[in-house]
Amino acid sequence: MKTMSANARRRWADGLVAILLLLLGTILIYPFLWMVSVGFERTANVNAPFPPRLIPYDFSLFNFELVFENGHLLTAYWNSGVNAFFSVILSVSSALLGGYAFSRGRFKGKKLLFILVLATMMIPFETTLIPMFIMFNEFHLIDTRYPIILPSIINAMGILLCKQFFDQLPEGLRESAKIDGAGEFKIFFHIFLPLAGPITATLAILSFQGSWNSFVWPLVVINSQDLKTVPLLLSQFSQESGTPLMGVTMATAAVSIIPVMVVFLIMQKYIIQSIALSGLKGE
Amino acid sequence: MIRETIGRKKRRTKKAVSGTWVWFIFLLPTLLGIALFTVYPMIESFRLSFTKGAQEQYVGFENYRHVLGSGSFHQALFNTFYIAFFQLLIVIPLGFVIACLINSLRRGRNFFKVLFYIPNITSMVAAATVFLVVLHPHGLLNYALSAFGIPETIWLANPNSARWSVILLASWHALGFGIIINLANLQAISPDYYEAASIDGASRFKQWLYITIPNMLGSLTILIILGWIDGLQRFTEAFMLGGHTGSPARSLYTLVGFIYERGFGGLEYGVASAASYLLLILILAFTFINIKFFRMKI
Repeated sequence: MKTMSANARRRWADGLVAILLLLLGTILIYPFLWMVSVGFERTANVNAPFPPRLIPYDFSLFNFELVFENGHLLTAYWNSGVNAFFSVILSVSSALLGGYAFSRGRFKGKKLLFILVLATMMIPFETTLIPMFIMFNEFHLIDTRYPIILPSIINAMGILLCKQFFDQLPEGLRESAKIDGAGEFKIFFHIFLPLAGPITATLAILSFQGSWNSFVWPLVVINSQDLKTVPLLLSQFSQESGTPLMGVTMATAAVSIIPVMVVFLIMQKYIIQSIALSGLKGE
Repeated sequence: MIRETIGRKKRRTKKAVSGTWVWFIFLLPTLLGIALFTVYPMIESFRLSFTKGAQEQYVGFENYRHVLGSGSFHQALFNTFYIAFFQLLIVIPLGFVIACLINSLRRGRNFFKVLFYIPNITSMVAAATVFLVVLHPHGLLNYALSAFGIPETIWLANPNSARWSVILLASWHALGFGIIINLANLQAISPDYYEAASIDGASRFKQWLYITIPNMLGSLTILIILGWIDGLQRFTEAFMLGGHTGSPARSLYTLVGFIYERGFGGLEYGVASAASYLLLILILAFTFINIKFFRMKI
């Protein structure tokens, strides 16, 4: 048996690659597993659990109980949830409407407007940061939910993805409805929108994740404790009491990522597809 | 025949009547948003960058001169470039190699995609919070390194190791994105190339070198461009590990950190606006250079 068959060799190579990837992947997510483990370690607030271990020596729910005790985290959860809910509605509907117009509409200046929409992706958010703050301040809307929710109406990536989605649907759908005398809105709401389920789901997930994780802009516009979102609360917490209260901090961090984690694990197929698509189309 | 022409004409006139304006209603939310939250602030920011104080007194290029001559801006520029450069140097080749490995598998590709993408979906704030503990003197990193005989380091106490801490955190967070983009492009390479090469007797490594890499230059360029755009805007990682002033010794002070501190700490809107325009110019220039350098068609 000097030479293995090609198939057997391939199987060996696959096995080795899989082991290597598993090793790398474990290193990559190890900090996460450790975060959960430190959260369950009762004494982690007094002593850093050293040497680092995955199974806590003194397992308890103590830190997680502390996290929920003063109610700040629940308030932050509510705030992040409300902001995300309205942001998703705004950004998904404007993307669906806009994407449809760029896909099926025939009007003057279409190309120019499309370039304008795509150009907004190139502009760093920081260039608009200060005037945005001043503007919302003049309307007395600083320290409210509005500055966080309203700007999500711009969703250039969503428009691009929607345009591509509607481009794939057959033109015949529209023609027959037009012959029946249906207007553009009727055609959109009765024929195209019901077919747009998958793209709507993708956009909703991406927009939810973006909203739930957003940090810099909420940091600038929110001051009162009652309106703080989850990332704001976590950053405040970790900078005030970070490593001294290691157990509670890790428990808070773990609780803070549960929604995005759950959504990701359930919908991972959609998410990974849309990420890949957005990168492919940039070419 | 005649009826057909009439029908077509009728349809065309109807289109022209209901035509243009109806589409603008579809686009209204987006256009309104862009006008209010992009175009207006851009113009306003440009105007503010030439003014000073609450009275918004016109001062010409003074803010730009101030920013370009300021030591803390130079420091921010250096830190931002240093962190972005090394982060890309780690993430892009590593993401490419891991994507190739995943792509070579016949089973379990999906599992590995999900596994490697997990860090990317978590918020940077949560990731940084975990890293504060990983980087703790009694944390995971020192413990892992001690296995190789490397002495204990207090990562966030020394400027150089603090910058490398941010590089590590940013790489950890961005790796999954690179892997997904690379994988999608790897799967878009026609299998015919590989078949032809293996008929000619090329080894798998040679196929990788002569088929995979040349076909992947496009997606690697995209990752470099997106990576620089993100890298020049770096803030959250540095802010979480180093606070408002980017401690220690301003080693984690980034360009956006400069804008944030001068704009909202010092209420120097003019200076901050000038800095934000410099950042915009820098990003546009970098994107342009990258496109030119890699001779990419967009």
